[in-house]
Amino acid sequence: MATVNETSVDREARILEEIKLVEGSNLWSLVMRRMRKDSMGMFGFYLVVFLVIMAIVAFVIQQYDALFGLNNPTGDLWDQNNYYIEIWIPGTEKFLRIMAHPKYIIPGDQTLSPSAQYPFGTDTRGYDILSRTFFGSTFSLVLGFVGQLTTSTIGVIIGAFSGYYGGWFDDIVQRINEVISAMPGFILFIFVVAIFRDSASAVPGGIYMIVIVVFALIGWGGTSLIVRSTILSLKNTEFIEAERALGAKDARIIFRHIIPNSLSPVIVITTLGIGNTIMTIAALAFFGLGDPTAVTWGDDLSYHRDNLMTYWWMPTWPAMMIFITILGFNLMGDALRDALDPKLKS
Amino acid sequence: MSMRSYAIRRFLYIIPTLLGISIFSFLLIALSPGDPIMIRMGLFKGEQSEYEDLYEQIGFEIGLLDEDGDRVNVAVRYLRWIGLMRRPIEYQTDALTGEQVYAFSGILQGDFGRSWHWTQDGKIGKPITDIIVSRMWYTLFLTAPAFVISTVLATVIGVVQATRQYSIWDKGVTLASLVGYSMPTFWLAKLIMLGSFYMFNFTGATQGDAFREPFILNPKFYVFLILPTMTLVLTGLVFLARLTRSQLLDILRQDYITTARAKGLSERSVVYKHAFRNALLPIVTVVGMALPGLLGGAVMTEGVFGWPGLGSVFLTSALQRDHPMMMATNFIFGAMFLIFRLLVDLSYALVDPRIRY
Repeated sequence: MATVNETSVDREARILEEIKLVEGSNLWSLVMRRMRKDSMGMFGFYLVVFLVIMAIVAFVIQQYDALFGLNNPTGDLWDQNNYYIEIWIPGTEKFLRIMAHPKYIIPGDQTLSPSAQYPFGTDTRGYDILSRTFFGSTFSLVLGFVGQLTTSTIGVIIGAFSGYYGGWFDDIVQRINEVISAMPGFILFIFVVAIFRDSASAVPGGIYMIVIVVFALIGWGGTSLIVRSTILSLKNTEFIEAERALGAKDARIIFRHIIPNSLSPVIVITTLGIGNTIMTIAALAFFGLGDPTAVTWGDDLSYHRDNLMTYWWMPTWPAMMIFITILGFNLMGDALRDALDPKLKS
Repeated sequence: MSMRSYAIRRFLYIIPTLLGISIFSFLLIALSPGDPIMIRMGLFKGEQSEYEDLYEQIGFEIGLLDEDGDRVNVAVRYLRWIGLMRRPIEYQTDALTGEQVYAFSGILQGDFGRSWHWTQDGKIGKPITDIIVSRMWYTLFLTAPAFVISTVLATVIGVVQATRQYSIWDKGVTLASLVGYSMPTFWLAKLIMLGSFYMFNFTGATQGDAFREPFILNPKFYVFLILPTMTLVLTGLVFLARLTRSQLLDILRQDYITTARAKGLSERSVVYKHAFRNALLPIVTVVGMALPGLLGGAVMTEGVFGWPGLGSVFLTSALQRDHPMMMATNFIFGAMFLIFRLLVDLSYALVDPRIRY
């Protein structure tokens, strides 16, 4: 009998504790608490946090080096002597040498296998692969984030307006959506990028701008459909009616009430989509449609794709980074989906 | 509404969507910068003076210029491509008058035009239909077995995982599928090549003698088929196995499964008769929607292994600005996607008798 009493008391205490925790906490702290219980999800979350911090640190260091680097006091990009990333210690004349510069080669150090000086080795051009991998994180992640966030934003706005207003606007959007979704995704992506990249390559970074624009224009359909269906069900709820009765404008209803209430599926799609975007853009680079002058994992991987048999270290590190990024976002996205929608959880 | 009228209505609905697809792709390609005539002239070898004469001739051949050397309107080109306006037929002159023959020859007549990149004896482009039909078999021989194997394996793995939840098999396969899910296809293909190189000294990158005709009787062909098939099976497997597992787990938690167990049915009949058939619906959707991808879904794998299938054709056509080929690709894939979506929707009624149209 004692055990029965204990378990029921335990359960009661646990429920009370949970209620106390839930009280006064918003959705996000609840989601965070649910996510903490999922060890795989937290692993993915930490991976993503690690990658983001790495990208930010890489960006800051590179900018600092461009401004105050040794042998490059003017910040001239064409200074061939800026072999290393160095941090100037303010107030002194000392420099802290960190690693080789990702965009300048060290003559004579081509095709070195991993060693103490170059932990990841150097490639056929003489770049330090550790440096390329580290500083490539900025642009690789930015491409994934910007590409997916643009897609999601376009999808949310179009979905919200077409769901809320309905009528001819909704009809047109749905037809366009149908046409785009019926076209072969990756092949269409390759086609459009191949067509427009030549004229874009005149601008520095223009190729990836085109890539992102094309990606967003092709990909908004899925998000907009989900937002639209959520809004159709929200539109006739009481609190929207109340807001309308109080004389709120449509824009206020859409942006203050409808979009925030339909955001949780969008967040899941976006998280899972960032990994997917990074993979798609890397695949594009792998087939020779990237920007060979940019420092990204995808472009490094594509430059060394035929070296796997002879110099294994050249393609392996960028590929590892792409793999880790996608894994992190997938794990985190799965955990987020479970946390946001407890009904689905096993 | 009866099933038949639903099917007919949906089928008729495909037509405007296809029209939209073709207009969208045609506009996109027409708006693209660069001069296709100059790109095509790169295929010819000759003197500088010849090139100036060639420009108008080639422009006329590929339908961008008319007989006077002026640009043809985009709308006219589109209508010619559709087959609603007469277009000049390449290298065909009237036997009596010696004038250029004009005829209706477009999509409606079953003619996709001629490729700008793949040429016969360096001059006239090959008909796109011929290119697609000849390359299609390489792709189908690669993707169809891979698709069948991966579907069957994925279902089996998913069922095993769901019925033995939290066992070591389940955890191991879940971890493996997470790794596989996050692995870019092109990199997986490279790793398989590497592994095979160390074990069998064979990379699987295709060589000339792999495709000696008739390739069906050529034993080399089947040797080169193994590694790309493995790549496709592994990539296709992961998603479907995850889906099967989660669907089946969802169903196994339902009340009627408890009822079936309480009735004293064997676990086997509970899983296969009651649970699995109800879990089929989303699986049928995914499998059906993957069918059009059999022709072009293997772009990455074909690219890595140098497989001369349709995926490679599409990749090359994009890089070489082969506009008629790109149009044909978009149109054919759009049509197949729409038709298969219709078939999937109709097959719901077969899988799930509750669904009525």
